[in-house]
Amino acid sequence: MMGLLVMKERLKVLYGRCDGFINALIRFLLAFLTFFMLNQNIGYMAKLKNPVVPVVLGLLCSFLPYGLISVLAAVFMLVHIYSVSFEITLIVGVLLLVIATLYCGLHGGDSFLILVTPILFLLKIPYVVPLLVGLSGSLVSVIPVSCGVFIYYILLYVKQNAGVLTNDASVDITQKYVQIIHSMLSNQLMLVMLTAFILGTLIVYMIRNLSIDYSWIFAIIAGTITQLVVIFIGDFVFNVSVSVGPLLIGVLVSALVAGIYDFFVFAVDYTRTEYTQFEDDDYYYYVKAVPKIAVSAPDVKVQKINSRSHRTPR
Amino acid sequence: MLMLNEDKIKLMTSISLFEQKEGKHIFPVNRYFKSDYVSKYMIRSFFGYTFSYLLVMVIWVLYSMDFLINQSSIDSLTFLGWRAVAVYIAGLAVYLTVTWIVYAKRYDYARRGLKVYMAKLRRLEKRYEFQDKTKELEKGGRTS
Repeated sequence: MMGLLVMKERLKVLYGRCDGFINALIRFLLAFLTFFMLNQNIGYMAKLKNPVVPVVLGLLCSFLPYGLISVLAAVFMLVHIYSVSFEITLIVGVLLLVIATLYCGLHGGDSFLILVTPILFLLKIPYVVPLLVGLSGSLVSVIPVSCGVFIYYILLYVKQNAGVLTNDASVDITQKYVQIIHSMLSNQLMLVMLTAFILGTLIVYMIRNLSIDYSWIFAIIAGTITQLVVIFIGDFVFNVSVSVGPLLIGVLVSALVAGIYDFFVFAVDYTRTEYTQFEDDDYYYYVKAVPKIAVSAPDVKVQKINSRSHRTPR
Repeated sequence: MLMLNEDKIKLMTSISLFEQKEGKHIFPVNRYFKSDYVSKYMIRSFFGYTFSYLLVMVIWVLYSMDFLINQSSIDSLTFLGWRAVAVYIAGLAVYLTVTWIVYAKRYDYARRGLKVYMAKLRRLEKRYEFQDKTKELEKGGRTS
């Protein structure tokens, strides 16, 4: 434990020393991963599928704010979808524009979640999103997370039906819209996942704010169990197929990632909790003070002044 | 010899950091009364909502094209039109209320931030006054 805490302090010092570079690196990795994943999963536009494109766009994005990266990724996604079906491009484009206008105007700080949620779905650890959002964000953040889930299932729909969508010129255009919207909205797995994510976030947020010891750890455990329970109930009621092995591995890895986040952000020592009570003219105050764990990174320098082994015999 | 004034440097650094972190939200607030500030964003929200509603309507019309074509009477189309207007107004009312709550809170928060900022500036001003007086006294002491 002590070793981990020292490592955390060292990482903090490292981040403090070169935060500009690390931030740019994180933005590059996020953007590169996004464009790379989009190319791998819905790379229908041959010109953009070139492996150099994600690298170049990633490098460009390392200088851009997260909002602009999201816009670039959305355009990139729409271009790929356009090669398959104009109808889906229109529907997704409208959805993204509506989110950008209605939500990002009011509460734009967490719009990157629209981007991150589908990526984590593709990395098979989407269950980490409700845990981290519940621990660090506000409840309103379930809106971009839900949009992210919706976008992932649209991408999945495009991927699974690419052949049909490209070759159905014979189908009437209005029938196409009915068909696409109907299949998108009646995707029960998506509805189950949405419910799991919203409930998971809510539970984590509520427990995290309780005045109990180890509230963050309990919140992570409760959020993980909530998601599992909702998915199993959905599996049972709607008969949606969720393979148990990847689900359990994904959930465990997500809980582990949330645990690491807790260690880095909320390291407190509950054994040294202090309680105090005082009053002023209007209120009585019952204060619980939990000290943060603080260690200083050891700065050991060994300087050899005189070494016996090198002494020459007289 | 030029002496570094540690207190002043700390104060100026904290002011500069405050400006960098909160300035974007705080300074625009100073130019408006609360009602004007909130109204400005409500007007923006009105246009944003109307634009989004029209976009969604386009998709809905495409989705329900068969249904709309099969409506035989003008009355049923008029009824649909009125229902669309009712949905628009209800949604607009909800969205404008949310906007009003969010920006009223944001204004209050920014006002509090502005007070802290002004207090920091006053402290800095006092530091300058104190420094000037000390300099004058030192000058006076040498000349007399």
